Amino acid sequence: MGFVGGHQQRGDLVLSAERSIHIVFALLIVTSLGIMNAFLTDQFQYWYVANYSNRDLDVFYKLSGLWAGQRGSLVFWAVLLAFFSSLCVFLNRRRNREFMPYVVGILQGILGFFLVVLLFAGVNPFEQLGFLPVDGAGLNPQLQNYWMTIHPPVLYLGFTAFSIPFAFAMAALLKGRTDSRWIVLSRRWTLVSWFFLANGIIFGMRWAYEELGWGGYWFWDPVENASLLPWLTATAFLHSIMIQENRGMLKVWNMSLVLLTFLLTIFATFLTRSGLIESVHTFAENTKIALIFLAFMGSIFIASVVLIVHRRPELKSENQIESFISREAAFLLNNLILLGAAFAILWGTIFPLVSEAFTGEKIAVGPPFFNRVNLPIGLVLLALTGIGPVIAWRRATKRNLKRNFATPVVAGGVVVAILLGLGARNGYALWTFGISTFVLTVIVVEFWKGTRARARIEGEGFFPAFLHLIARNRRRWGGYIVHVGVVLIFTAFAGRAFEQEIRKTMNPGETVTVASPFGHTYTLTYEGMSSSREGNFERWVALMTIQKDGEALGAMSTERRWYPSRETMTTEVGIRSTLVEDLYVILADVEDLQGMVANDPAAQRIVVQVMVNPLVGWIWYGGVILTIGSLIALWPAAEIRKRAGAGAMADSSQETLAGAAPA
Amino acid sequence: MVILGALLLVGITVFLILQPILAEKEAPLQSAGEEPSEAQFRKRVSLLQLRDAEYEYAMGKLGEEDYQALRTEISGEALAAIRAESAESQAGSGVFEGPTDAELEDEIASVRSRLSGGFFCSNCGHANPAGSRFCGDCGTPIQAPTTSQLS
Amino acid sequence: MRHGRFYVGLAGVALVVTYLVWTGISDSMVYYLTPTELVAKVAEDPAFHTVGVKVSGKVVPGSYDRGEGELVHLFSVHDIEHSEVTFPVVYDGVLPDTFTDEIEVVLEGRFGEDGVFQAKTLLTKCGSRYEAAPEELDDRGTTG
Repeated sequence: MGFVGGHQQRGDLVLSAERSIHIVFALLIVTSLGIMNAFLTDQFQYWYVANYSNRDLDVFYKLSGLWAGQRGSLVFWAVLLAFFSSLCVFLNRRRNREFMPYVVGILQGILGFFLVVLLFAGVNPFEQLGFLPVDGAGLNPQLQNYWMTIHPPVLYLGFTAFSIPFAFAMAALLKGRTDSRWIVLSRRWTLVSWFFLANGIIFGMRWAYEELGWGGYWFWDPVENASLLPWLTATAFLHSIMIQENRGMLKVWNMSLVLLTFLLTIFATFLTRSGLIESVHTFAENTKIALIFLAFMGSIFIASVVLIVHRRPELKSENQIESFISREAAFLLNNLILLGAAFAILWGTIFPLVSEAFTGEKIAVGPPFFNRVNLPIGLVLLALTGIGPVIAWRRATKRNLKRNFATPVVAGGVVVAILLGLGARNGYALWTFGISTFVLTVIVVEFWKGTRARARIEGEGFFPAFLHLIARNRRRWGGYIVHVGVVLIFTAFAGRAFEQEIRKTMNPGETVTVASPFGHTYTLTYEGMSSSREGNFERWVALMTIQKDGEALGAMSTERRWYPSRETMTTEVGIRSTLVEDLYVILADVEDLQGMVANDPAAQRIVVQVMVNPLVGWIWYGGVILTIGSLIALWPAAEIRKRAGAGAMADSSQETLAGAAPA
Repeated sequence: MVILGALLLVGITVFLILQPILAEKEAPLQSAGEEPSEAQFRKRVSLLQLRDAEYEYAMGKLGEEDYQALRTEISGEALAAIRAESAESQAGSGVFEGPTDAELEDEIASVRSRLSGGFFCSNCGHANPAGSRFCGDCGTPIQAPTTSQLS
Repeated sequence: MRHGRFYVGLAGVALVVTYLVWTGISDSMVYYLTPTELVAKVAEDPAFHTVGVKVSGKVVPGSYDRGEGELVHLFSVHDIEHSEVTFPVVYDGVLPDTFTDEIEVVLEGRFGEDGVFQAKTLLTKCGSRYEAAPEELDDRGTTG
């Protein structure tokens, strides 16, 4: 209806269409509340509630039952999608009217698809069992973790929000207004989506680190990869739109990127739901859903490509790349590299499927492949985060390069030299630390120079100048802060090269020692096992007291838990974090499990795995800084102010610019 | 009870959706001239680029020659955009988020006047009083810009 | 060509990435086999003993025992569907919480000439992380 309304300029149809979006949102809210209520009131006659909850389950996890399983999470996705659509329509009820009919039409289409899936793919969350069980099966204990609970919602917010930029892009194509207008309109939405995706991925990493108990946080699991792909292309997109805005280039590229990113968000949920690729993350296999999703992705792809090709004449670039050494070229390289990484990861993820289809042989591609391909790519990307902000537009001269890069490069070199002197030998880690130093130097100097220039020009003190500097150009300085966050995260990755790990069998009273790469030593003393009963589980806790270089530091524990309703045993690790490293203790084995369960005091012999994970915390701190930077970049500038007539403007502009023309 | 609620929901939905068509209510199709036109966009971009160039020169990021060349180029683009704007049939509103075009121009002019009133050292960015031969901060000899280069 | 530089850059990066992906896959890909397939492959080609493989199988009930040394675990696996072909496995590492008799496992390691599989990594498959298995609650036979 939106399309027809826009094409035939019929305002009544458009209004109808806009209302339908709001209504769908309202109805989906009702549905979601219904599901949450069913969980809270233990309505176990519903298959979905019975399989994901039980009476003893904490209220927090009952509420999150909405997205714990395939059916509920589809509703959850739909309600978030409807929320963003409704918000977009509402915010634009008087603005951007030439775009909105088409935007609405596209959003209706996407929403419609998800509703079709909900209704026709056998995933009714209200399906009844036919009898009323006494109690439910409870929630998988590994999902009973704070980070695991907020990780899907945040990620879904990121996925669904990207529908808006996509809708605006397609609307621009449909309407024929192919300049940068659609980019400016949807810029904030893109950043919002990117922001949620980044945080969602980081929360997932935090969950894996805390809950899966291997000391690692990323396994190149197909579903992990699927969530990373749209983030990579969205990052590329965020940068390439700056080129289109500033220099009028890459118009077809941006259209393609927005389409690709949107398709990847759908692909991500497709992969998780269809069970097509083996993963520890997937819901159970469902071919009906797989087919519907494939049909949807296929039609979107075809329709969008047709549109882009149709509008190709209007998408011509206004300028060209003048030099390989320029900001345009750096941004372009950034894009190509991000897409290269995305391609490599995608290929590695679906290769087993492809190979089986063509050769009949089953192949597995694991972390060695992904690490090998992505490490060099990551290093180049890291370097670019420092080059991009400072290299000149159009063409950078030798003078310009020397002026801006001499100090940071030297700084990086000095740090590498120091590390080499301290005995570090891991190639990739050294490169990472060196490049990270380079980037941080660039950014700090940028802030410094910018603040100083502003202080001089405006006659302000340093601190006010700093604040005004950022306020005047939030996107740029917020972006630099995001880069700082990214640098911290990459540096944290490099820390893994210096991990320490010790295994020991211990009786109560015995100690184990592990050395940190930062020079000190941790000594842990195993005090003994104790047991207790909590809400829906029983626990056996191994207590360890810690000493650092002889100084007492307190205690930490690691435990086994038994969830009777799920008949599952889990291990909870102990983590002690400092700014520079984590002490990570795993209760790897209990020699006499039966004895432990029976609370036999003699059954206290355990095997622990003690690890020192250097710099791991920098992932989380980096994430916080990334968040701050994004919020600054997102913050709306001062209100739109009305202008006097266009005529007066043209005159004064001519004056100012006449001063710039060569004499 | 549930059936009644469902019927009610369906009824309200149908009503809200059909009402615009039957009662001829419309969503606005034009944005009442609040949208900037394509030429205004390009002019806006040029102004922002000019402002950034001024600051980068003041910061010491951009050398003298590069700065002058860039300024000439961008100003040319801005002027072209202004001419295109007056030639446009449908006047855009020129309303953007953030400072108005006039404010941007003021900012550019003010940065320039500071630059012409004294010299920013092209090496370290230190502001030196007019007539200085050497930078008071880092000692680099100052290239005095010729008068034709100042506005 | 108007966009010459753009295409050159594109081609350059594409080449590098393709190279990385190509060598990456050929160097790190492993066959993913059932115990029956593995035994057959090794019989065909004895050099296969030195190649890393991934095996998907099921733990033979009652076969679990501790080995010597910390965190050394011994058990036998057979195919998920049938139990004709079995071989013993030695795994050195932390046992996943979900490891039980008859659990489905995914092993990565080498099949030694002594007929024992030396596993470097061990993962258990417990249906799906998100789906419950208990049949008592699902008498309709539908999966979500």
